[in-house]
Amino acid sequence: MTKARDLANGATALSAVSATELAYLDGVTSAVQTQIDGKQAANANVSTTELGYLDGVTSAIQTQLDAKIPKTLTTTTGDIIYASSANTPARLGIGSTSQVLTVSGGVPTWATPAGGGITLLSTTTLSGASTTISISATSYTNLLIFIYGVTVNANGSDILLQPNGSSTSTNFNKLHQYAASCDVESGQSTNYRTGSVYQTGGLNAFTYTIYNINSSTYKNFTVQGVYQDDSNRQASENGGGGIKDTNAITSLTIAAAAGSHGAGTVKIYGVK
Amino acid sequence: MSKPMIRIHNTKTNEIIDREMNDVEFSQYQIRQTEDEQRKAEIEAKAQAKAALLAQLGITEEQAKLLLS
Repeated sequence: MTKARDLANGATALSAVSATELAYLDGVTSAVQTQIDGKQAANANVSTTELGYLDGVTSAIQTQLDAKIPKTLTTTTGDIIYASSANTPARLGIGSTSQVLTVSGGVPTWATPAGGGITLLSTTTLSGASTTISISATSYTNLLIFIYGVTVNANGSDILLQPNGSSTSTNFNKLHQYAASCDVESGQSTNYRTGSVYQTGGLNAFTYTIYNINSSTYKNFTVQGVYQDDSNRQASENGGGGIKDTNAITSLTIAAAAGSHGAGTVKIYGVK
Repeated sequence: MSKPMIRIHNTKTNEIIDREMNDVEFSQYQIRQTEDEQRKAEIEAKAQAKAALLAQLGITEEQAKLLLS
């Protein structure tokens, strides 16, 4: 009965299918729907190459994309991305010129560096019989002065260090050493005299340190130097003393005791 | 006769002035030179006296150092 009903129903259904359409089934060897399902969906906008990019994907693509930092988080040249808290990217805009990256409250931030221990205040080339350099160092405690490459056009000229002009007196003690000999000297003058330098030598270098330059009492100073003396011997010098001035140090004159300077550089550093 | 040149460096403005010494500066410069010559003369005189003493004692400088060490 069942087969008879099926045939009857089939005859009804087949009445809507033409012989030509039925002929399309010729050569079919397995379920048509299964074969259709096994085929790639036709989409003109997606190429095979693009579909190939999915090779190796192991989880939902959108979820993976959502976990990434969007490049639009940076808006300006110099921006830096950091974590403001765990798994929370944040933008840090570039700081100003000379600012440095530091840490405040556990996150990075740009800040102007605190006054360093030592700052170059001026560079001067020696010239003539004397060179006077103004010093503006009210925010510093000490001065560190490098005087190097000094030459003179008169052999045996001392180099004079005179802070705050010629009316200021300097008390000093010093020791010159050359080979196995040494000279000691002490006194008071309007300046501190280094050893006598050799005329053509440029290997003369001195470090002149003045302490508490803004105090209202006398200032201490030290001098260390190495130079070629007037007999062209390698010599060294250690000296120190007091500058008898209650005013702040505002200038330094470096003079050749005889003749003029042919060359020489003075670098003045302020030290906090 | 021209006076020696000096340099003045204003580090606030970075202005450098090279000019001749004025009369006061030249006077101080001459004093410096005189002091320098006197100092050198003193050093030379001291060296000569030392050499003369060594000759009088009939010893060398090295022997004198040995005695004083």
